[in-house]
Amino acid sequence: MELKTIKNKAQKEIEKAGDLKSLDQVFKNYLGKKGKLTLVLKSLAGLSKQKRAKTGQKANEIKKFLMAKFDQKAQHLKRLAEEAQGRERAIDVTRPGKKPQFGHLHPLTQVQKRAEGIFQNMGFSVVEGPEIEDEWHNFDALNIPKDHPARDALSLGKTFYLKEGGLMRTHTSSVQIRYFEKNNPPFRIIVPGRIFRNEATDAKHEFNFYQLEGLFVDKAVSVANLKAVIQEFLHRFFEKSIEIRIRPSYFPFTEPSFEIDMRWGENWMEIMGAGMVHPNVFINAGLNPGDWQGFAFGVGLDRLAMLKYKINDIRLFYSGDLRFLAQF
Amino acid sequence: MLFSYNWLKEYISGKLPQPKKLAEILTMHSFEVTELKRISGDRVFNIDILPNRPDCLSCIGLAREISALLGRKLGETRAPKTEKLTVGKGSLDPVKIKIINHTLVPRYSAILLEGIEIKDSPRWLRSKLEKVGVRSVNNIVDITNFVMLETGQPLHAFDYDKIKGAKITLRMAREREFLITLDGIRRPLREGVLVIEDKERLIDLAGVMGGRSSEIDSKTKNVFLQAGNFERQNIARTVKKMGFGTQASNIYSQGVDPAMTAAGLERAHFLIKDLAGGKIVQLVDIYPKKVLPKRIRLDEGRIENLLGVKIPQKNAVSILKNLGFKQEKPLVLVPAFRQDINLEEDLVEEVGRIYGYQNIPAALPVAALSSPKRNLDIFWRDFVKAVLKESGFAEVYNYSFIPEKEAKIFGKSIELENPISQDYKYLRPSLLPGLISNISQNKKYFTDIKIFELGKVFKKQNGFEEKNMLSGLILGEAFYELKGIVDLLLSKLGISGVWYDSYQQTPQESKIEIWHKEKSAEIKVDGEEIGFLGEISPSLLKEFKIEGKVTALDIDFEKLSKLSSEEHEYEPISRFPSAIRDLAVLVPPETKVADVLNAIETAGGKLVRDVDLFDIYEGEEVGEGQKNFAFHIIYQSEDHTLNSAEVEAVHNKIIQAIEKNIQWQVRK
Repeated sequence: MELKTIKNKAQKEIEKAGDLKSLDQVFKNYLGKKGKLTLVLKSLAGLSKQKRAKTGQKANEIKKFLMAKFDQKAQHLKRLAEEAQGRERAIDVTRPGKKPQFGHLHPLTQVQKRAEGIFQNMGFSVVEGPEIEDEWHNFDALNIPKDHPARDALSLGKTFYLKEGGLMRTHTSSVQIRYFEKNNPPFRIIVPGRIFRNEATDAKHEFNFYQLEGLFVDKAVSVANLKAVIQEFLHRFFEKSIEIRIRPSYFPFTEPSFEIDMRWGENWMEIMGAGMVHPNVFINAGLNPGDWQGFAFGVGLDRLAMLKYKINDIRLFYSGDLRFLAQF
Repeated sequence: MLFSYNWLKEYISGKLPQPKKLAEILTMHSFEVTELKRISGDRVFNIDILPNRPDCLSCIGLAREISALLGRKLGETRAPKTEKLTVGKGSLDPVKIKIINHTLVPRYSAILLEGIEIKDSPRWLRSKLEKVGVRSVNNIVDITNFVMLETGQPLHAFDYDKIKGAKITLRMAREREFLITLDGIRRPLREGVLVIEDKERLIDLAGVMGGRSSEIDSKTKNVFLQAGNFERQNIARTVKKMGFGTQASNIYSQGVDPAMTAAGLERAHFLIKDLAGGKIVQLVDIYPKKVLPKRIRLDEGRIENLLGVKIPQKNAVSILKNLGFKQEKPLVLVPAFRQDINLEEDLVEEVGRIYGYQNIPAALPVAALSSPKRNLDIFWRDFVKAVLKESGFAEVYNYSFIPEKEAKIFGKSIELENPISQDYKYLRPSLLPGLISNISQNKKYFTDIKIFELGKVFKKQNGFEEKNMLSGLILGEAFYELKGIVDLLLSKLGISGVWYDSYQQTPQESKIEIWHKEKSAEIKVDGEEIGFLGEISPSLLKEFKIEGKVTALDIDFEKLSKLSSEEHEYEPISRFPSAIRDLAVLVPPETKVADVLNAIETAGGKLVRDVDLFDIYEGEEVGEGQKNFAFHIIYQSEDHTLNSAEVEAVHNKIIQAIEKNIQWQVRK
């Protein structure tokens, strides 16, 4: 047979082969031990030198060409076979996925981080302070006089004292003066942290919980600014526009003092205490109150987390119960 | 405090808004109304009078406030009827009064009434008192309560005939004295509380509650009616020391205007004359140091500056005027009943709250565009928490307080003076007791428990030491799992030079040891101990009633964050292929992996890229008293392709180095 005929025939047969088995048969017919092309190549030995070179070259080219065709076709058939197989054994897409082992961050960690992020974007630095405090930083420097009913009224009188002196801070406002001691205004800070109040526990009260204090001191900071910053914070925190209202309150370390409520469904919900820094606090910080003014606020992180995640009992945060924690 | 709507209405001229509307106005401009109840045709408000506003702890005081809120002038408040205190002739000896310390008693006023008749109060009086929660006793006692609720001046009535020697002394109590108060309770007195004594005995705890021995009873004929002004702080201290208070002590400890004593007595006299008869035979008014009215400078600009809104001057002036302030430009004269007003800022608050904070438009502050300072403590804390979370741990928050039993085990604990209960008596010196308790609670529901906490611990150590610790627990025997996590954590924090030492018990430790002696390690970085890792000792687990095993890590977070570094340098990937050779070494059972690893790395030098322990075998195949370590050693050069001769040479060098130790044998 002519080499050219072999090539054409083989090519056609390769194209016709419907599965891998028949393709294999075609391969054997042409390139197997007794295949047509193999025989041609074997017969070269009997030819003259000149003819051998010429036919040999041509036969090898055809071999190379066919090999490539076989490969191509085999790949194609394999893919078809695989696809066919896939169709046969469809997977059950409703079977539960394999869960990777994954941990959980405490909801208060998440809420704190979120709040920190929002305030940092507004230029507030995050500052911390000690949980064991002295009377000066927790009370006196903040213009909270001894034996003043305000201490009890603000539940600041519900203080845990240590046998050997010192107390557990009742608010993170204690960090205000500590920060003033080392930094000069203007500044914007927030102080998140654990605070302590000697109160009976129930679904709404804990004896340790978390507060985020804010302090913004500059030349001309006003109540209007406080309102805007708090609105912005709540808006970003809850990712919806939140209506707030400011009503009078009393804190010894702010003047004027406010309670800030936010609209939550049908009701107004008390969300934080705030006010303009009291001149005596500036004096206690070694500053001239005529030079500076600012606002301060304190928001309960537990309260924010409870609203955000619809948690109805504050004690869950400190229960260590994985049935609760694993939901976050 | 409870207020009756109808009662308030008596003092306000003109229309009063509906109760609900009034409650809203009060909440938004003065005090929060926490409750509004319907009681026998009236409405009763429960109002949180702010602690700096004792002037509103009375009907007249609150009516004055409401008038101002409604934009009415101060003069429009209706005053109740009074009767002048004119002294007539009588048969009684006047009461001699001695005040030891005038700073504790700025003003002392009283009247002695002769020939009164004790009977039940009329219905209108009983009903008024009962609506706001005060029990009716008799006409005289009811009048004292009524006048206090109406004017804010507490009164106390003594039965004159029970005052021995017609003589009273106001002095500080001494240690070990006691008084039986009106409620029949025998109260030991604390040093420094103000008491009233007659010639023979104590008869009154001044400003708080009268004594039983001098109380009004049905046979009382003559009454010594006292309107005292007692120093605020001393009464507040007394309430704290004595552990009880009354409406009177509540008013006193917030401060009463000294001018009120006369007004209170005049009002009481009017009512007594009508309801009990009698006449005044003695009038007392000891007021050595008159309180002068305050004047405060108010700059108009200050209001706008602080509130951030321009309030027309006319409005500001009329607000202050309605509240009882007088303009004496640039000064403002403060009315005597407003003892809370001391600063310009206090005046700004008055203007602001009456104007309405809701009328201040929000405005974002104008400030320098400075980016916040980075807080590395918080950065590393979040970072560590993230690594542990990704390693499958759940974060817990435990209380900062623990029971005595646990405190004793961990030692150096700081004790609370006033714990909420025995279970929370000490500050936690370690996070472990809390975490171990978490395990025992969660064991009921989970078999696979991995938890951690990052929080403050407190220890007695040259004063108090307060620091952040990082502690974690795995339920079960998991030393190597936890060690892997510590390794991962440290490497993520960019900390190298990490070493684990067998745990050495320190002699100061308590009887119950925390760590399992054989199965725990000290974690060191460059020779400094930063924490511990290992199984919790069986004896400690027994204390917590936990069966099974618990593996823990306990790392000093302050040290950890100091060592941490964000610097991270890319290590070039070698372009040249690596070769892997396996090495199996038979060693005695007590031999540590690190010793063999060390020998391999020292002998192998630069060409050993990595050594990976892939198997430890102890058992039949290797015989008693031996174990087998199997390593993959990865050889690679940074600058050329290693040929097999080079690899063989290093590998043989390693084998020779290992076999120098006669107890170690390389299996070929």
